[in-house]
Amino acid sequence: MHKLARRIPWVIKYRPKRIAEVINQEEAKRTLVSWIKSWPNVSKKAALLWGPPGSGKTSLVEAIANEFGYELVEMNASDFRRAADIERIAMVAAGRSSLFGRKGKIILLDEVDGMQGRADLGGIEAIVKLVEMTKHPIVMTANDPWDPKLRPLRDVAILIEFKRLSELDVVKVLRRICTEENIVCEEDALRFIAQRSEGDLRSAINDLEALAEGAGKATLSVAKVLLRPRDREHNPFETLRAIFSSKYAWQAKLAASQSQLDYEQLIEWLNENIPNYITDPEELWKAYEALSRASVYQGRIIKSGSWDLLAYVMDLATAGVALAQKQPKYKWARLKFPEKIKRLAETKEMRELREEVAELIARHIHTSRRVVKSDVLPYVKLIFEYNPQYAAKLAIGLNMTDRMIKYLARNRYNEVMSYVKKFSEAIRREAEAKVREAQQVVEAKPTPTAEEKKRRESRRKTKETGASLLSYMKK
Amino acid sequence: MEESTLVGLVMSEAFAEILWAEKYRPKSLKEIVNQEEVVRRLMKFVEEKNMPHLLFAGPPGTGKTTAALALAHDLYGEDWRRYVLELNASDERGIDVIRTKVKEFARSRVPGHVPFKIVLLDEADNMTADAQQALRRLMEMYVETTRFILIANYPSKIIEPIQSRCAVFRFTPLRKEDVIARLKWIADCEKVNYDEEAFDVIYELSEGDMRKAINILQAAAALGKVTVSTVYKVVGLAHPKEIREMIQLALNGKFLEARDKLRKLMIEYGLSGIDVIKQIHREVFSPELKLPEDLRVLIADYAGEIQFRLVEGADDEIQLNAFLARLALLGKRFTGA
Repeated sequence: MHKLARRIPWVIKYRPKRIAEVINQEEAKRTLVSWIKSWPNVSKKAALLWGPPGSGKTSLVEAIANEFGYELVEMNASDFRRAADIERIAMVAAGRSSLFGRKGKIILLDEVDGMQGRADLGGIEAIVKLVEMTKHPIVMTANDPWDPKLRPLRDVAILIEFKRLSELDVVKVLRRICTEENIVCEEDALRFIAQRSEGDLRSAINDLEALAEGAGKATLSVAKVLLRPRDREHNPFETLRAIFSSKYAWQAKLAASQSQLDYEQLIEWLNENIPNYITDPEELWKAYEALSRASVYQGRIIKSGSWDLLAYVMDLATAGVALAQKQPKYKWARLKFPEKIKRLAETKEMRELREEVAELIARHIHTSRRVVKSDVLPYVKLIFEYNPQYAAKLAIGLNMTDRMIKYLARNRYNEVMSYVKKFSEAIRREAEAKVREAQQVVEAKPTPTAEEKKRRESRRKTKETGASLLSYMKK
Repeated sequence: MEESTLVGLVMSEAFAEILWAEKYRPKSLKEIVNQEEVVRRLMKFVEEKNMPHLLFAGPPGTGKTTAALALAHDLYGEDWRRYVLELNASDERGIDVIRTKVKEFARSRVPGHVPFKIVLLDEADNMTADAQQALRRLMEMYVETTRFILIANYPSKIIEPIQSRCAVFRFTPLRKEDVIARLKWIADCEKVNYDEEAFDVIYELSEGDMRKAINILQAAAALGKVTVSTVYKVVGLAHPKEIREMIQLALNGKFLEARDKLRKLMIEYGLSGIDVIKQIHREVFSPELKLPEDLRVLIADYAGEIQFRLVEGADDEIQLNAFLARLALLGKRFTGA
């Protein structure tokens, strides 16, 4: 019995049995408990628990089931590809009473963000259907609930956030386990494990077990040798810190490979944050030079379509940036969300308007919006800001909208507009007069001479101008 | 011009105006004074009412688009627009859009007296090699009813199979006296007051680009008499002062502030990375920027490198940030700050 007990992994052996044993996450506990207790009188029939790995999502559900006497029907969402499994869960969900006569059931769908690719798309649909018909609370877990493909699930579930555990939280649990297991542990070793776990209690317990089981003790020196870097998805801030503090090329590359950021996002984040972490002018330039080269390879990929070059993009963006520093080290620095993305969102309307004006002028002078923006718009703007009267003529001649005039004239908008109104009025009067005159000519001379024909042709042209100007006025 | 039409023109011009670059664009091949060799060969096509696919290559503002439009005008007459599809590679969203438009256009009817229509594709050198391959197939597919005129600044960026299917026309930079004569002619038509020397300055500042020269002339005329000083004023105002401020900030080691200025330029003014680096290049040799002379050369060298990377397709902001970081470093070395 003793031997058998020792074979149970510690992560299972020390799973919380009671809600109180789940470390931290008080708010999540309150929300989830009250939601389960009120079920089915709730706004949404499913709950989506989200947060970093090892923060206690699954543990809390198990503790609740245990403490309140629910039967837990568990399923890993990647099983949703198998029709038989779906049926099994669907039958449980539809069934009214529990086999064991307990209070009720909780259906736990673990790691719904683990479903991947097109093959699993059906899985999401199946879950949504399940939520519609279920007679029992459905609880799902995910690390990243903002994945676009999970959107249908977000719509049908209440979202409950689990915070990343602090180093202190993790140390507390590890110390308790050491006591229970009669292990002599160095405080430094526990802290080292906790730090490395980055709030992932599950991985920390696994580390402790690997280190101490059998040895009966946990020391820092052994921990440092034994515990190798772990593969896990890092958030953008973690990724950047890891890259900036890499002393070896492989460390920097590893940091990128373990990131939630794809390579394009990573480059955007580095572009924003290089100067926040690196301040020495020489190092700063070297870092940007490396990123610049990475971006050149990126451009070549797009132009040539040869994705083999991606490896070089990554080399330069990670190792290139890290080793631009003479002594890369871990330090505190305020890292930021890429400003460019934010600014682009804020200035969207203005940029759209500029594109409209550029498009109008580009068609007028037979060129691209790009050329207009760099070579023509600056001069047109100048005219609008310095000569409202002339600007009004251009606005009429190019058939600009009020919005466009406002964009070009800025604070002289009212002046330009008053001229536009005045000129438009004059043009209308003139055009009307011409139309009348042209009609009189037609009526008066049924058989024109050659010379008269010519003259009339020219009048026809002015009449057309008048008509098109009239149509402009009506707008 | 006949007197009656002239009257009509003047009447409407009292209240409406267009850009002179368009107003004074030669309508017919006969009106084009430059590029004599090219024009002579194009006139032959009009005479024979037949032509191969064409590739017009040369620097900006040397008359490529004008020649193409004039050729269409001379082929089809006044309603030439019905038989010409104008596309711009840098504005269309990819080869698929181009393919759809060409397909639709190729279906419409052919004018009676000319057995083909024209697809005018500007800035073709901005297309990726893949897109150009697709374009080549289009050119072959519809050759019965359409001819392509491709326009490019850099013919070397047009793939070999397309070049070999086109008659290539090289447009040379316009002669200074021709540009100035044209400017003067426009100024006279518009009854603009001017000093003769102003035209020299416009020519220098527009780097032989006729369209740019005419834009400067029109803006200067809108500000008053066209003199050397109004021309400088116009060009100075048209180029955001933030460029110089940005350079200065970077040289003083204030990288983050310089980067803010850069973002402003790119987002608010809508400048592309290439626009910015070109303007930087101009600024670097301006006497108003106080710099050791050897530093100007070092900066220009790196600016050239950055421009090359941008042409290669690298990200605008990253390249320019690298440039600013370099300026910060050079500034520190030279001032010993």
